[in-house]
Amino acid sequence: MSRFDEVAHFVSAANRVTGFDELRTLLDGFVRSLGFDYYALVHHAGMVRANEKLVRLHDFPEDWEGLIRDRGYFCDDPVHVACQSSFVPFTWQDVPNMIALSQKQREILDAARLAGLGNGFTVPIHVPGERIASCTFSIKTGKEIPKDVLPIAQYMGCFAFEAARRVAETTPAEKSRLRRLPSPPKLTRRQLDCVVLAGQGKSDRDIAQILDIGYETAHQHMEDAKRKYGVATRMQLIVRALFDNHVAFADLMPN
Amino acid sequence: MVDVVTAHNRLNYRDVTEQMHRDRKKIFVDQLKWDIPVVDGQFEMDQFDTDAAIYLMALDPAKKRHMGSVRLLNSTGPHLLGDVFPYLCDKGVPRGDDVWEITRLCTAPYKDVDPRPVRGRIATALCEFGLLYGINKYTCVAHTQWLSALLAVGWECEMLGEPRQVGNEVVGAMAITITAATLQMFRDRKKSRIPVLQLDHIAQAA
Repeated sequence: MSRFDEVAHFVSAANRVTGFDELRTLLDGFVRSLGFDYYALVHHAGMVRANEKLVRLHDFPEDWEGLIRDRGYFCDDPVHVACQSSFVPFTWQDVPNMIALSQKQREILDAARLAGLGNGFTVPIHVPGERIASCTFSIKTGKEIPKDVLPIAQYMGCFAFEAARRVAETTPAEKSRLRRLPSPPKLTRRQLDCVVLAGQGKSDRDIAQILDIGYETAHQHMEDAKRKYGVATRMQLIVRALFDNHVAFADLMPN
Repeated sequence: MVDVVTAHNRLNYRDVTEQMHRDRKKIFVDQLKWDIPVVDGQFEMDQFDTDAAIYLMALDPAKKRHMGSVRLLNSTGPHLLGDVFPYLCDKGVPRGDDVWEITRLCTAPYKDVDPRPVRGRIATALCEFGLLYGINKYTCVAHTQWLSALLAVGWECEMLGEPRQVGNEVVGAMAITITAATLQMFRDRKKSRIPVLQLDHIAQAA
């Protein structure tokens, strides 16, 4: 079989899978034939306990899975944060150039290497109206990323994730939950400016000063934004704006 | 509604066609930085915007404003995949009366245009047009960054060859099979069986 035949076979098989086990088996074989050691298809859940069905399918070493869970690494996983600002795939080496790494994020990247995950190639998955996800292929520490297969890996990642997404929402109950995600309200440019500053911990008075507008105006922008979201506190407003990708985590970092 | 704009009726759509080319310039050239021709510094228009092209255009109810559109080309004539990217197809470029190419799919890049319902209308229109015209497959050159969104829509997609690096982007050739079930899926989702295509114009164009 030519390489393309293998790819085409993978796609048609992925389009037909009916369960996660089937998809796992399919991925196991294909990921290794591309020259990678591990894969992960995940919705970026962060620490919010989501009420919709999320995809979380991977074969990372158990040590690493334990660390992710015990140390709460999933909340600020730098690879996930980088996906927020990128529609194109990247390798983990690119991450320090994409986002400003915090101490904890540097620790996470080091810990991944120690756990045997040397490098990875991550395909961000952006589906309008849904939370961000990604498909990652990684290699053992000490090995090189197989550069020539990256375009294929990128496509496979999208097909594999779609298969996982379809399986995850197969039951009618899950379907209706997915549908229930409210569509994000639109914030004006000025409201966004205020939300970003509020996310950086500024009071309405600070915001007014920074944006060179009146206190009443700044306060009104915040009130209007809260009303659009139907929330009572600035904390809820900031969280919702982050969730909807109106605001990126990077926007909230101190300059 | 979505209007079918062809060489035969395009005089009725002069203003919105102009807007379409202007919006396409804003999206593909200014925002996405594609290296494609621009006419008069403001219209994105290439060698495939000819009499052979059929446009499905989502317009506002007054039909004064371009909300989104897609360009369709029959694969037996000149088209992007056949003429520019044939090497993306491992087993030859699919051609036939029943194979048409989708290019320049876009929604108007303005703050007051919510792209989601417009995309939905164009998707449904693509199904309706396909079934009416006896089109079994649409082909397209898919940029990776849109691939997951494209698949999530529920299209029945197959790859025509290995994706390749073109400039800074990875692109791949895809075929989308259109069946009555595809249309049914969009109608179920929209909870409406009312066709979105403007049928009187199709009659005019035939």
